[in-house]
Amino acid sequence: MKEIIRITFRLTLSCFLAALVMGMTFIFTDKAKKDNEHHNVQTTMLGLLGYSSQNPAPKELKLYSIYRYIIEEKGTTYLGYMVPVSNAGKESYEFLKLSLDGKLEQRLPLNISLEKAAEDAERQSVLKEALKTEKGFAYQDSTVVARMGNQRLAYLLPGKFGGFKTHIKVILSLNPQFDVLGLEIMEHEEDPGLGAEISQNYFKNQFRNRSFERLKGLDVVKEPLPDEYRRYLDAPDKFSGEQLDTILTQYRDKDIYALTGATISSRCVTDGVKNMAKRFAYRIKILDEAIASQKIPALI
Amino acid sequence: MAATKKTNSELLFNGILLENPIFRLALSMCPAVGLTTSIKNGLLLGTAVLFVQVFSSCTIAAIKNFIHPRIRIPTYTLTIATWVTVIDLVLAAYVPEAYKQVGLFVKLIVAFAIITMRLEMFACKNTVTSSFFDGVGMGIGFMVGMVTIGFVRELLGAGTLLGYDVLGFKPLLFFVLPAAGFFCVGIMMAMFNYIEVVFNRSKERKS
Amino acid sequence: MSTLMKRSILLSIWLVSIFLASLPVCGHAAENSFAKKTDFKDNRTIVIEFAGAVDEEWATSPANFKVNEKQNPDVLLPVEKVELSPDKKTVLIRFGEDIDLRAAHVVSMTPVSSEGKNMGPAILDVKKSYFGYLFSILIGAMLINNYVFTKYLGLCVFIGTSRKKDTAVGMGITFTIVMVVSAMISWFLYQYVLKPYRLDYLQVVVFIGLVSLTVQAVDTVLRKVNPALFKAFGVYLVLVIANCVIIAVPLTLASNEYNAFESFMLALGAGGGFLLALFLMSASRERLELANVPPTFRGLPIAFVATGLFALAFMGFSGMAIF
Repeated sequence: MKEIIRITFRLTLSCFLAALVMGMTFIFTDKAKKDNEHHNVQTTMLGLLGYSSQNPAPKELKLYSIYRYIIEEKGTTYLGYMVPVSNAGKESYEFLKLSLDGKLEQRLPLNISLEKAAEDAERQSVLKEALKTEKGFAYQDSTVVARMGNQRLAYLLPGKFGGFKTHIKVILSLNPQFDVLGLEIMEHEEDPGLGAEISQNYFKNQFRNRSFERLKGLDVVKEPLPDEYRRYLDAPDKFSGEQLDTILTQYRDKDIYALTGATISSRCVTDGVKNMAKRFAYRIKILDEAIASQKIPALI
Repeated sequence: MAATKKTNSELLFNGILLENPIFRLALSMCPAVGLTTSIKNGLLLGTAVLFVQVFSSCTIAAIKNFIHPRIRIPTYTLTIATWVTVIDLVLAAYVPEAYKQVGLFVKLIVAFAIITMRLEMFACKNTVTSSFFDGVGMGIGFMVGMVTIGFVRELLGAGTLLGYDVLGFKPLLFFVLPAAGFFCVGIMMAMFNYIEVVFNRSKERKS
Repeated sequence: MSTLMKRSILLSIWLVSIFLASLPVCGHAAENSFAKKTDFKDNRTIVIEFAGAVDEEWATSPANFKVNEKQNPDVLLPVEKVELSPDKKTVLIRFGEDIDLRAAHVVSMTPVSSEGKNMGPAILDVKKSYFGYLFSILIGAMLINNYVFTKYLGLCVFIGTSRKKDTAVGMGITFTIVMVVSAMISWFLYQYVLKPYRLDYLQVVVFIGLVSLTVQAVDTVLRKVNPALFKAFGVYLVLVIANCVIIAVPLTLASNEYNAFESFMLALGAGGGFLLALFLMSASRERLELANVPPTFRGLPIAFVATGLFALAFMGFSGMAIF
C-alpha cells in the first residue's frame, strides 16, 4: 500500500514538473511564433502588391483589415463585419450587422485599435461586450484592403481550402475590378516533388493577370507547360514591353496547366481560388452598398 | 548488469558507426524512410532528435536514483514527451518555414523506439557525463544516417543538393516518393552488411 | 490459429454492427413533409422530389428558389433555370456555374404551391450521404492513406512482427483494439478538456499518457477476463506503445477537428490498414525466407525492398474518391 502511495506521489510530482517546463516554454515561444507569422504574412502581402526590401512600399500605402462574422440571434442568422472607420481623426472599428439579404440592421462602434484587432482574443472580448452575448457570433475570415491615399489599390484575401492531402492556405490578391494580381501559397501538406510544386513560380504565377470573368470559368488541362510560358512564369518581372505583350496575348486566356503527377492538387488550388474570388466579389458589393447607404466613414 | 566502462570518445564513435541506430540497430525507421526527401529535412529532424536524446539522457541519468522501478517506463515516456513538446514549440517559433515540413514528425519523436531504448539500456545505469556523450553519439549517428539517405534521394530525385540545383534536371522523380525511401534504406542496410562481411573477412585473413 | 481468427472476426463484426446500428441514416432529411428527397444530380444540378404534383408556374420560376452553401449563408448561388419533370413531381434546379459538391447546400423555397394549395415554406438540406463520408474516411485511412505504406509510420513494429502470419495477425488485432479505444478517449479529452482550457500544447503528453493507460488497462482486463486470449495477444500489448501510429491518429483527429463518429472511423481504418499491411507483409516474408536471397540482403534489407514494392502498389490507390 505504501508503495502505491509513493509511486503515485512521485508520478504526480514528475507530471507537475513536466507541465511546468512545458508551460514556461510555451509562454516564451508563443509571442515569437505570433510575431513570426505576422511578419511573414506582411512580407507576403507587400510582395503580392509588388513591393519588397529593394522596392519598399510608399508611406501612402495602408493596409486595412475587415473581419467577417456570422451571428446567430434568436434563430435568425445575420452577417457581421468589423470595418475600420475614422472616428474624429482616430482610427478604430465599427461593427455592422447585416441581414442575409444585405440590409444594414445595426451599427455598433467598437473601442479597439487597428493593431489590437489583429488578435482573435481581443476581437472576441470587444465583440462580447458590444453584442452582449458570449456565444452568438463566430469568426469566419478576414480580408485586407490596400489603399494608396484615397484609392483602393487591391484586395488581399487570405483563404483556406481543402487540398489533396489536408488543406492549403493561400493569399490571393485582386485588383478593384476583381482581376487576379497574384497568388501566394502560404501553407500546405502536399507531397514533396509532386503536390508541393504548387508553391513554385511556374504554377502559382499562372493565375496572374486573369480577368474576373476568365477566372470564373478557369479549368485545369493535363498538357505539358510550353517552354516559353515557363520562362515567363519563372521570372515574370524580367519581361516587359513587346515580349510581355506577346506572351500575355497568347497565354492569358488559356486554362491552368496541371502539375506533372499532381492533377488533383492543381484542381484543388484552381477551384479554391475561383470560389474565394467569387464569394468575395459577391460580398464586397453588398458591404459597399451598406456602407454607402449610411455614409459610414469607413477607411476602406 | 554492470555497464562496461567506455571512454567518452568511444561512446561517440559507437553511436555513429558501430551501433548506428538506423542501419545497425534498425530502430526509428519511420523518419528514415519518410523524411529523407531532402538533406535539409534530414538535418532538421536529426537536430531535433539529437536535442531530445541528449536532454532526456541527461535528465534520466540525473534522477535515476529517484525513479521507482515499477514506474520506469512511464517516467521515460514523460521525460521524452516533455522535451519533445519543448523542442516542438521552440522550432515552431524560431524556424517556422522548416517546421511546416517536419511538424508532425517532431511530435512523433515521443514514440521513437531509439530514445526509449537508449534510456533503458544506458542512461539509467550511467553517469550524466557518459549519458551525455552517448546521447550525442546516438543523435549524430541518427543524423548521419538521415543525411546520407537524404543525399541520395535528393540528388537522384530532384537534382538538387540543399536546394541548390546541381544537375539541372530531375533524373528519377520516383526517389522523392515514400516507396523509394524503403528501397534506399533496404539497399543501404545491405551495403552496411556487405561492409561488415568484408571487414570480418579481412580481420580473419589477418589473424 | 483458425479459432482465433474466427473469434477476432466475430468480435470485429460485432463492434462494427453496433456502430452501424447507432448511426443515423442518410442526411437528406427534408423539413417539409411534402418534399420527399433532395440530392445532387451533377455538378450543376440539384434535384428535389415531391410527394405530389406541383404547380408548373411556381416550379419553373427561379425566383422561388434560393440556394446557398450552408457554410456561406449570405452568398446566394446563381440559379439559371428550374425544370419540372413530366409527372410534375421532380424539380431540377440548374446553375449557371459549377457548385462545390463537397459542401452541404441549403435550398429555401417560397411556400410550395401544389394544385393551388399552399403546402408551406420549405428549407431543405442537400448534401452527400453522411454515411458515405464516414465510409470514405474509413477507406481513406485503410487503403488510400495507409499508415504503413503511404505515411510510413509504425515501421519498427511492422518490420519486427511481420515475420510470421500468426504474430502479424495477433499484433494487428491487438493494435486495432487499443487504437480504437484510445482514439475515442483522446477525442473526448481533446474536445472537453484540452480545447476549452487552451492546453493544446499538452497534446503530445496527454495522448501518449492515455495510450500507456489504455495498454495497462487492456492488459489487466484481458488477464482476468480471458486468460487464453491474453496468452495469445498479451505480448503484443507492450509493443503497441512503441508504434508511431498510435499517437499519430489522435494528433490527426485533433488537428482535423473530427467528431466522435469520424474519429471512430479513422481509428478503425488506421488499425485495419495496419492489420492489412502486416498480413500482406508476413505472407510475402514467409516466402522470402525460403527463397534464394543474396547473403547481404537476407533479413532486413530484402524486407525493406519488399515493403517498397508494396508501397508502390498502394500508391495506385492515391486520389481515389468514393462518394
